[in-house]
Formats: sequence, C-alpha cells, structure tokens
Amino acid sequence: MTAKELLWITSTIGRMFTEYGAEIYRVEDSIYRIAAAYGFDRDDKRVEVFSIPSSLIITVNDGDEPPLTQTIRIANRGTNLDRVDKLNNLSRYICSEKPGTEVIRRHIEEISKRKVYSRWVCIVSYAVVGATFSLFFGGKAMDAAFAGLISMLIFCVSELVDRVKPSVFFKSVICSMLTASIAVIVSRTGLTDGFDKMIIGASMNLVPGIIFTNCMRDFIAGDFLAGLYTLIEALLIAVGMAVGAASAIALFTMT
Amino acid sequence: MDIVVNEIIMPCVYSLIASIAFGVQFNIRLRHMITAGIGGTITQLIFIAFQANGMGEMLCYFFSAAAVSVYSELMARRLRVPVNMYLVVGIIPLVPGGYMYNTMITLISGDVDMFGHQLAETFGIAGSIAMGVFAVSAIMRLIRIVTKKAI
Repeated sequence: MTAKELLWITSTIGRMFTEYGAEIYRVEDSIYRIAAAYGFDRDDKRVEVFSIPSSLIITVNDGDEPPLTQTIRIANRGTNLDRVDKLNNLSRYICSEKPGTEVIRRHIEEISKRKVYSRWVCIVSYAVVGATFSLFFGGKAMDAAFAGLISMLIFCVSELVDRVKPSVFFKSVICSMLTASIAVIVSRTGLTDGFDKMIIGASMNLVPGIIFTNCMRDFIAGDFLAGLYTLIEALLIAVGMAVGAASAIALFTMT
Repeated sequence: MDIVVNEIIMPCVYSLIASIAFGVQFNIRLRHMITAGIGGTITQLIFIAFQANGMGEMLCYFFSAAAVSVYSELMARRLRVPVNMYLVVGIIPLVPGGYMYNTMITLISGDVDMFGHQLAETFGIAGSIAMGVFAVSAIMRLIRIVTKKAI
C-alpha cells in the first residue's frame, strides 16, 4: 500500500462517513485504524487527521518522502445510517483482512450505490410521524389527520427548498412557517379544536434529532470542536422552528 | 381499564410507530428498524413508570435517556452496528415537543416571566436527556477501553 493509495482510501471513507451523518470521532477513529492496519502507525510513517463536520484534512507521512495532504470540504450532509453501518463494517474488514486497493474500491462503490427508501416511502413516513406525534401529545383523530397531511407537504417543500442549498436556519424557518400557517387556517375552518397539536405533531419531522445525538457523542469522545459545531447547528434549527411558527401564528392571530 | 389503555398502552404504541417511521427518514433497514422501535417503546415505558411514581420531570427524562442508551449500547454491540442507529431513534419519543411549543407561544403572547420559565424548562429537559446519554456513554466507553473490545 503506497501513501497515495492510502490517502485515497482514507479520504474517501472519511468523506462518506461525514456525509452520511456519522459522528466525527468515528471518522477519525476509522481512519487511524485503517492506517494502522497498513503499517502507518510508526513515528516516521504515520497518518494525521483533522476533521470537523464541514471539512476533513488528512496527511500521510511515508518515511523519507515528503508528506501528502488532502483537504476535503463537505458541503452537504445527510442522514443515511444504513450506509454508515456498512462503511463501519468495511473499515472493520479492512483492518482484519488488509485487502488491496482494488477490492476496497469495489466495496466503496457498492456502498455508495446501496438503495435508499423511495420518495413515496419517505412521504408516508413523514405523515406517520406527524400523525402519531400529534396523537402522542394529546391530539384527536382530526388533529392527527391534518398533521399527517401537513407533514406530507413539509416533505415536498423541503425537497424543493433543498434545491437552492439553503442554510439550515432558513430551511427550518420556511418549513415551520408553512406548518403553522396551514394549521391555523385549518383550525379557523372549525375542523379541529385548536392548532397546537397539529403544529407540535408536524414539527417533529423537523426536530434535529440526529444532530443533537451526534453532538453529545462527539462531546463524550473529546471532539469538542465537532461537538460545538453540531450543537450550534441544532440550536439554529430549533430557533428557526420557533421563529417560523411564531411569526406565522402572530400574523394570523393579529388579523 | 380505560386509564391503563389511555395512559400506558397508547403512548407506547404511538412511540413504537413513530420511532419506526423515523427510522425510514434515517434510512435504517427494516431488520434494525424493529429493534430501534422497541428502544423507543422502552424509553416511553420507563418514562411513564417513573412519572407515575411521582419522580420529578427532569429525573424522568434523565433516567429514560439513560435507559435507552444502555439498551442501544447493548443491542449495538450484540448486532455489531453503530450505536447511533438505535440511540437516535430511541430518544425521539423524549423530544419535549410540547414544551418547545409552549415556549414559542409565551414568546408571542409577550409574557416575559412565563417565557423565561418555559425556556428554562425546555433547556433543562434537553440537558437532562443529554446528561442521561452522557453518563451511560462515558461509562460504556470506559468499559470498552478497559476490556479493549473494538466496536
């Protein structure tokens, strides 16, 4: 394994981990383990990694040769825990079997082509989340039905908004504004008692659950920079949700 | 009987369904989704049990979060998957949606005292959940280092 090949493998796996929503300590840990498997764990022959959720820097030192560095900027992160799981298995496999570059390349391609749930399944899951949570927080059947419908709309709108690559804050403001406006309009028609249960239920789709979890786990692992980054992201989303819903409700109840 | 159904069984059913639906959004495969959903139900059950025994709200959140962390750490070890897969889904039923909403409403109404009160409560709950996960994960990490078992 040459330094160049190792750099390619570690940077690809690290980038995929980050893009699919793994914790940052997992990214760094896997890279160090893979490097150690190929003998890059000595003083003169080693790998250094610096990673935060938005970028990844890897340097490979190979004895007498000048060090190789690659910087990767990670623009958009999603959540695909299935692929994180498979990448985790791959890095465990690399550590135990030490396969060649070609084999690893094939595995990586396989992982990046793994199926994701289709759009329709996602829409249904949004609706189910909205409906069950509005029941969970004490809503009635009518609240649940409308929360489900609003959640479907949230999914469509967030897909549309994603095309212009917005900031997380903007996206959550737009989505929760839409949620609150429709909920208030529905409650005005008299179909439901109030709009609160609908808003709470449908908003659960926007809650930054995985970001918050990653933040805690990075803090525990001692990755404070990554933890702060994700903490601020989670807070921004939460504030965005509040701002969006509050402005919509304030506008509608004023008139 | 009605109380049992309304206060215990229905919330558990809701949290099971909601957790599984959330699993779809995180692209978790069906096999893991059911395990993850059971995690959400356990969280809810423990929360209800502690609340019924008159324990303070924050402590309820703390212990439920700790319980679901233990569950997901154990299951993740057994099935050899990242802990996140179960933990993320498991703590979803704990998200204080109602408190977040109330905070927002008091903000609109301009009642500063109530707003501060609600905000403190929301942050307290979020902090309790975080601390619950923190405590268990830190202990598990220690155990992992001591036993030198790679995960």
